[in-house]
Amino acid sequence: MSIREKVDEYKKILDIFPNDQEKYQYLIEKAKENDSFPSELRLDNFKVNGCQSQVWLVPEEKDEKLFFNSDSDALIAKGLVTLIASIYSDEKAEDIVSNEIDLMEEFELGVILSPARRNGAYSMLKTIKEYAKKLIT
Amino acid sequence: MSKFKNIKKDFPIFERDINGNKLTYLDSGATSQKPNSVIDKMTEIYKFNNANVHRGTYVLSAETTQEYESVRTKFQSFLNASESDEIIFTKGTTEALNFLANSIANKFMGEGDEIILSEIEHHANIIPWQMVAEKYKLSIKYVKVNEDFSLDLDDLSSKLSSKTKVVSIVGESNLSGMLPDIKEINNLVRANSEALLIIDGAQLVPHRKVDVQDLGIDFLVFSGHKMLGPTGIGVVWGKKELLNSLDPVYGGGDMIEEVHYDKATWAPVPHKFEAGTPPYVEAIGLGAAVDYLQDLGMSEVEKHSDELREYGRKVLLDIDGVNVIHSQETIAGCTFGMYVDGVHAADLSLMLDTHGVAVRAGHHCVQPFHRKLGIDATIRSTAYIYNDKEDIDTLKSALISSVEMLR
Repeated sequence: MSIREKVDEYKKILDIFPNDQEKYQYLIEKAKENDSFPSELRLDNFKVNGCQSQVWLVPEEKDEKLFFNSDSDALIAKGLVTLIASIYSDEKAEDIVSNEIDLMEEFELGVILSPARRNGAYSMLKTIKEYAKKLIT
Repeated sequence: MSKFKNIKKDFPIFERDINGNKLTYLDSGATSQKPNSVIDKMTEIYKFNNANVHRGTYVLSAETTQEYESVRTKFQSFLNASESDEIIFTKGTTEALNFLANSIANKFMGEGDEIILSEIEHHANIIPWQMVAEKYKLSIKYVKVNEDFSLDLDDLSSKLSSKTKVVSIVGESNLSGMLPDIKEINNLVRANSEALLIIDGAQLVPHRKVDVQDLGIDFLVFSGHKMLGPTGIGVVWGKKELLNSLDPVYGGGDMIEEVHYDKATWAPVPHKFEAGTPPYVEAIGLGAAVDYLQDLGMSEVEKHSDELREYGRKVLLDIDGVNVIHSQETIAGCTFGMYVDGVHAADLSLMLDTHGVAVRAGHHCVQPFHRKLGIDATIRSTAYIYNDKEDIDTLKSALISSVEMLR
């Protein structure tokens, strides 16, 4: 699935939930499903700066594609980073860098995706793009 | 009928709907909401009176200057200061403390001198002192906080000496609501040192009657926006003879008497400390806030805060799984720090927001104290004059349902 297709898929799912509370609940469930992050990778160099809670994103390159493993000590942030990591995983670095989808515009996720927030989702996206850029250059 | 019964009607923000709920605003420790009288006063100035203060010899400038200067007189009475010239306007508490740290260190301190703070200070009452300590080779000592969140005054006594030049202490803790005994601190400081005593009144002044002469302290600093006023305006109150002896930190604008190419002389207090165009509209807005609080009466404001605090203690202290950081003294502010084992404060505040409950999550600018307690982050509920028992009930039920979802 392309990044666009994955975003559309998540949009459909998120649209089912009528309010922020149920959307957060969905993210909490996503967080609880993501139990594959090894605790020894909770390292400072994998930390996403600028989040209210601690968030880690670890890139891995396989068959010329990028995969992201993610974790957070807060549940809603973990659900969000899990969702974002799955959108950009299994993609070529070039496709990640050239993709211009603005998740803040696409998803209605209450205050956690507010574009005015100087932290959170914005920092997660920036980190993913920086990893991808490094691979190209 | 209680003056507080229909008070929300004076604050237009409470007409808002948040996620389908009424707004339960419990973050006044971060900033207070504004009554119509403050908003209207500032709009009126911009619409009908606006002109720079102290500059023009025309009607508009004379009017704004008169209004601006009258706010000093309002604060003279609000704080029982001996003169209105003892009121200096600043941007807020943080700027006030930066100004005092720099001006006092420059004038009165030298290598080896000591500053005493407490373990529970806001970063604004730590960092300016750290900055001047590095520059002037001073050292900082921190008064211990007891397990019940009170200040260890024996520890203060033991730290005071002839080397102590400044003691700067919070007037009300922004995390636990603890109210230190300022008079006792003042007595200890006078008996054991010649230090200047500064009180950070950011959380204290909005909630309790403060009489600077009765307290005996040297300086009091606070922000306007936490006491119904606008942002960008705060106050330093200082004893006149001390203000006279200090030099300004900022130069330019109205703070001068005479300027030559090689030197300048300063205007008398308060103006020597107010460089550049002051935020006069904000100051006038703050004057309207003082009027609003004076109309309610600060003793009524205190009574309301005490009643809500007692209700908060009854309702919030025994929620299953919720740990509360709150002063154990009889009298304290209506401030409750809270954390739930295994639940992140950021998650908790996001879930509370879905109930329309606005609280603060994080370290509330008291990071060293969180570290001492061994906690990353807390949520904090701070109530003010417009809050009522129903708001505390809403917080409780929202907390219970949020914790259930997050566990």
